[in-house]
Order: sequence, then structure tokens, then C-alpha cells
Amino acid sequence: MQDFRTLKLLDRFEYVFSRFGVDYKIMRKILQVKLTMDGRRVPTIFSQNVKNKDQETNNQYIKSLWIYVVFGLFLIPFVLMGENYLFQMSLFFGIFTFFVMTSMIADFSSVLLDIRDRNILFPKPVDRKTVSTSKMVHVAIYLSFLTIALVSIPLIVGLVKNGVLFFLVSILNIVLIDLLIIGVTALIYLFILRFFDGEKLKDIINYVQIGLSLMIMVGYQLLIRSFQFIDLTVSLEPQWWQIFIFPMWFGANMEMIMNGSFQLLYLLFTALGILIPLLSIWIYMKYNHVFEQNLQKLTYHGKSKENKQSKLRQLFLKGICHSNEERAYFRFASSMMKNERDFKLKVYPSLGFSIVIPFIFIMNGYNTNFNDLSTSKSYLTIYFSLIIIPTIMILLKFSGKYKGAWIYRVTPIKQLKPIFSGTIKAFIFKLYLPVYLLLSAVFIVVFGVRVLPDLIIVFLNACIYAVICFMILKKSIPFSESIDQYNQNSNGAIVFGLMLFVALFAGIHYVSTLFSYGIYLYLVIAIICLATLWKQAFNITWEKIMR
Amino acid sequence: MMEEVILEIADLKKNYGSKSVLNGVSLQVKKGEIIGYIGPNGAGKSTTVKIILGIEDNYSGKINIFGHDISDGNIEYKRKIGYVPEIAEVYDNLTGQEYLTFIGELYGLDLDLANYKAKSLMELFGIGEVYHSRIASYSKGMRQKLLIISSLLHNPELLFFDEPINGLDANSVMIFKEIMTQLAAQGKTIFYSSHIMDVVEKISSRIILLHDGKIAADGTFEELKQQNTKGSLEQIFNQLTGFNEHRELGERFVSVVKEM
Repeated sequence: MQDFRTLKLLDRFEYVFSRFGVDYKIMRKILQVKLTMDGRRVPTIFSQNVKNKDQETNNQYIKSLWIYVVFGLFLIPFVLMGENYLFQMSLFFGIFTFFVMTSMIADFSSVLLDIRDRNILFPKPVDRKTVSTSKMVHVAIYLSFLTIALVSIPLIVGLVKNGVLFFLVSILNIVLIDLLIIGVTALIYLFILRFFDGEKLKDIINYVQIGLSLMIMVGYQLLIRSFQFIDLTVSLEPQWWQIFIFPMWFGANMEMIMNGSFQLLYLLFTALGILIPLLSIWIYMKYNHVFEQNLQKLTYHGKSKENKQSKLRQLFLKGICHSNEERAYFRFASSMMKNERDFKLKVYPSLGFSIVIPFIFIMNGYNTNFNDLSTSKSYLTIYFSLIIIPTIMILLKFSGKYKGAWIYRVTPIKQLKPIFSGTIKAFIFKLYLPVYLLLSAVFIVVFGVRVLPDLIIVFLNACIYAVICFMILKKSIPFSESIDQYNQNSNGAIVFGLMLFVALFAGIHYVSTLFSYGIYLYLVIAIICLATLWKQAFNITWEKIMR
Repeated sequence: MMEEVILEIADLKKNYGSKSVLNGVSLQVKKGEIIGYIGPNGAGKSTTVKIILGIEDNYSGKINIFGHDISDGNIEYKRKIGYVPEIAEVYDNLTGQEYLTFIGELYGLDLDLANYKAKSLMELFGIGEVYHSRIASYSKGMRQKLLIISSLLHNPELLFFDEPINGLDANSVMIFKEIMTQLAAQGKTIFYSSHIMDVVEKISSRIILLHDGKIAADGTFEELKQQNTKGSLEQIFNQLTGFNEHRELGERFVSVVKEM
């Protein structure tokens, strides 16, 4: 096991920890083990094959920090803008909090909610306080990496422009915000755990992760545009209700110190900014044992409700799947897609993205005139929602629980056709259709009912596209391979190639709109294509799958 | 009727690279037998079962089930087989209901029938209240019960239980033993591997001991006792696998423990 530089740095504070009654030597040992484990987290297929020592030092998390360095660059304008510190720095700290908080929930939840500690460390003669402190320090180490990645460049810019005082006060503020975030996150978890069981918490974390990924995708598109809207001359008069906007507490002390405007409200804000973070950490420390007790709930799960299949859904299922087997796979695939968090984390952000992206393109094209828009052919941007199909088709063969796939070998499965057709139908109806319907509803509002035939063609094309993707991609039994093997880059070329089909669909669609009744002809052709392809595509033998 | 051969293995060999796991296993199983398939860790018990079920291939030798050679690619025989694997790997993000009905449907059961049977069996096994919970939340014993139920939904003729009572409490083990006896009385054949010798001793109508990829003993418990002059199955097991150093190893182990 290697010794970490971080820990050597921590050694300097040994005295502080000892003062608080923490067994520093033990804590250091615990942290060393945890950091080593973190270094081995996210094992890809490559790191499993090549077991060399260099690999161990590669911490995936550290590698992912560069994205936060990039996000940090967006903070620079707020430092440079002017001397209106209350406004600028409140925004600055607000954005900072948003990034740290979301990443805290997405990435550090596993640390905060680790229940292995309980089983492994508690039976050993290790002081509880040492265990909980090591947990805190573990989180703090990562949080400081993240913080440094985010703010070091903006703050250096600030140091150059606004001087040493600005720099120092900002650092102090950021430390306070970090404390607040740790405290608040832990208290939120405590709250959730008190009232819900572990599965719910895991679901909430999962949705935050999904939201974060989506936010980053969309934010990347929108952030650059948003700079046009920010009015640089906003002057902000402090109001009492702003007391609830906690980034303002920190903005206020900047304003106070840098501009020397000692208003009563500013003083109050500053006091809150110092007290609340310390208080939240104190509460967390104080109720840590309650937290640990409630963590036990993560292993316990309340009785969940029986979800009855409504008659209507059964009828619907009978309508789209003809054989019993196909229906079985449809149901299986639907519940896997609905329940598997790994799968959701990879797929849902892109689903959300595919809803947003047509609008981004429309907005880029038409900034001003709505009338132009509603008579235009911009509705063809709905084809952008098809670009998620290849990625999801690739993902369908992966699962975090791929080891459960032994059932396919044990059971008497003669034909593979229902497996594939059932799964693809489940994908189209459970994942793509909601996206499509939402987009269609908005598009009908914007473009009028005249686009209805076009939208139907789009759906048919989406189905054709899914089948084409299936035929071209390497075939595997659904949910039978480890999701860790999923590697975005290795599929990049083929996904890109498949995306050309979307361009083809959209191109033909555009051409068909140039003639009267052209789209109806296209509609008929699309139906025939789909029917023929569907008949051919799924006749696959076991030998083909085995390779 | 009782003499009908259900399973016949002839000279089964299997190796992983240069390491051979099975060196010519031959056996015949007759209808209604409960076979205790025992052997030390790594003797090849699970491998034998996996080959029979088509999870592992690339073996040499012949396997006939219900009178058909399984190497011909016809998988119809699997319809009459139930299997509980040694390691409980399941799609555990599904609920018990979702998983069991899916498995039932894979075996060709109608959804409603699969649902009814799965629910009743879960209730009878004392885990009815988690039928609609995710399997991820199950305890080890609950998972094991789920696997046992999933292997029986389709009323199979031949059952392979690989360490089936792993994690079950004493009462559940009693239920399970009773289930096995009842199933055998109905003419089902059970192929059962375990490390818990006194259970094997009590319920098996015939015991096969596998050692170093070969059959070291085959017969009823009484027959094995006569051949080996030892009292319990555990002692017979030690004797046949050539293991008699347990006292010495134990002493050395404790002496290292004492070192400080």
C-alpha cells in the first residue's frame, strides 16, 4: 500500500486531532486503506487485465477533476466584472455551491453512506469518534480537491485584479461554504433516512446524479449564451428577505470588507455566514450517532407496494407483443430499465438531453420572429431526438447485475427472436415514446396540427432506426455483460456512423415535404420498410451470440 | 418404473487450460433418487452440474438426460430441470415478483400461473411479505429461498441443488428437507451437493463422493459405512479424501494464534 501525499500533509495536524480525542494513528490507517480503495474504484476492463503498480495511483476521481477546472473558468467573469462585490460574489459563491453540492451528493454519497464501516470497524477496538472523524476527513480530502480544482484559477485572477485581501477573504469564505455543504448534505441525508428507507435514498441520489449529468450537458450549451443576458450594471440593495439566500451571506462580507460599507444587514449576513456553517457541522457531529444508527436503514427496506398491472396496460401489451415469451421479455426489460440505477444513470441524462437539443437548435435558428418559426420546417429538428438511440441500443446488453444472466443458459430458450424483439419494443415504448410524445406535444403547439403526419413519420423512422442499429451493432443477450465494460470511446466511431442514418432520414423527410402528398408517400414507404426490417432483423441463432 | 435412468454420465472430462477439473466421471442416476454429491472444495462438483445444464461447455465424454444426448443442441430437456446455483447471482434490482414471474415465463408458464405459484410458494416459505420488494434488499436466507422457489416453479423432473441450504435457518432447513423428501416421493430426482455432512447423511438415498475430479465413493450411506469402517459421513469423507491431519493442523494453527 502506498503512502499518500495527502496523508503526509495531514500529519502536520496530528496534534489537533489528538486534542479532540481522536486516535490519529488509527485514523491515518483507516484513511490510507480508504484512499487505496478509491484508487481502485471504477475498474474498467483494462485495469483488470493489466495489473501493474502504476495503475494503482490512478484515482479516477482525480482524473475527472479537469471538468471542474473548466467549469471554474466560468467563474472568472464574476471576479473581473467590477466592484459590485455583493452581486458578483454572491453569484460566484452561488454557482460554486451548486457545483460542489451536486457533486457532493453524486460522488461522495458512497463515502458518507458507507455501511461497511459499521461491520468492519465497529467490532474492532476502534473508538467511534475516530471512525466518524476519519469519515469526515475522507470527505474533506475529496472536497478540498474539488474546491481547489474549481476556484484556484478564478481566485488567482482575483488576486491579480483585486489584491491580497480579496484573495484571503474569498478563501475563508470558500472554506466556510465547504463546511456548510458537508453539514447540510449530511443533515439532508439524516432527514431522508429518518423518514424514508434506504431504497428511497438511493433513488433520490440516483435522480440527483441524473439531474447533475443532464445539467452539465445542457448547462454547457446554455452557459455561453447566458452571458449575453447578464446585465453588468445591476446594483443590488440589500433586502431583508435575502437572508434566505445563503450565498449572499458571503457576498455581503466581501462587500463589507472590500468596499467598506458597514451596514447593519451586511453585519448580520456576515455573522450568519460564519455561524451557520460552524453550527451545521456541530449539529452533524452531535447527531452523528443518530446518523450512524439510521444508516442501518440502508440495509433494511420497507415493504413496497404491489404494483398491479392495470387491465388497460395488459391490453396494450397484448396489442404490441404477440407471443407470451415476447411479453415476458418486454416486462423484464421494462422493469430492468426502470429499476437499474447504473442503467438509468447512463441513459436518462441523454434522454433528457434529447428533449432539450431540438429546442436549442430551434433557438439558434430563430431568435426573434415567432411567426417565421411556426410556418418553417424547423420541426425537423425533432430528428435530433433520434441520436440517443444507438447509444441506448449499445447499453441494453449491459447491466450492473450481469451475473444474473445464467438464467438464459439454464432455461429452455429455443428462439432468441422474442428476447430481442421484446427488449427493443420495451425500449421504444418505455424510453423513447415518452420523449417523443413530449416533444410532439410541444411541436404541435408551436407548429400547429399540420405537422402531425410528419411526427408520425418521425416515430416510424425511430423504430426503423432502432432496428437498423440492432442489425449493425454487435449482438448480445440483453443485460448480460458487465456495465463496467461499457466504454464510450470504443463505440464512438460506430455510433457516429449510425448517426448518419438520422441525417438520411431527415434529408429524405425534407425532400418529401417539397412535393404535395410527398410525406404521405414517405409514410407508406416507412411502414413497409419497418414491417420488412422487423421480420428480418431478429432471426438470430445462439451461435451468432456466442461468437 | 423406479429403475428408469434419468441421468447418465460417461467418462466426463473437463479442463481449464492445463488444470484438469474432471478426470473421467461416470455415473447413472435413477428416477426418484436423492443423490448427495459431496467432495472437498474444488473437487469439481459445481462444474459437473454446470456442464449438465449447459452453462459450461468444451467437455469430453457423454451426458444423457431423459435418454437424450445433450450435446446435440436440443435444449428441450432444460424444461424439465430445476437448478439452484451455488452463488446467488440474480437480477436483484427486480422485485421478487418481477424476477420469479420472468423465470416462470422463461420456462413457458403463463404469467398469472407463475405469479400465483411464486406468491404462494413465497408465503409458504415465510417470505411472502417481501414478494414485492427488490431482491437487493433480501437477506441471504431470503435470496436462497427465492432461488429454491425459482427452480421449482415449472414442476421439474430433475433438480440440481448446489449448496441449497446456504444461509437458511434451522427451521427453514427442516422445511427444505421435507420438501426434498416429498419431491422424491413424487418421483422427482434430486442431485444435491453440500458441505454439511449430517444433512447429506440423513436425506440422501445415495451418496457420491468426488475427489480430484474422480468418483471416490458411490453408494448408500450404509454401504459407505461398511466399506470404510468409520461411523459418520464426516469421518468417511475425511478418510476417502485422504485427510487425517486435522488435529495436527489445528494445533499448529492455535500455536500461531497464541504468538504475540
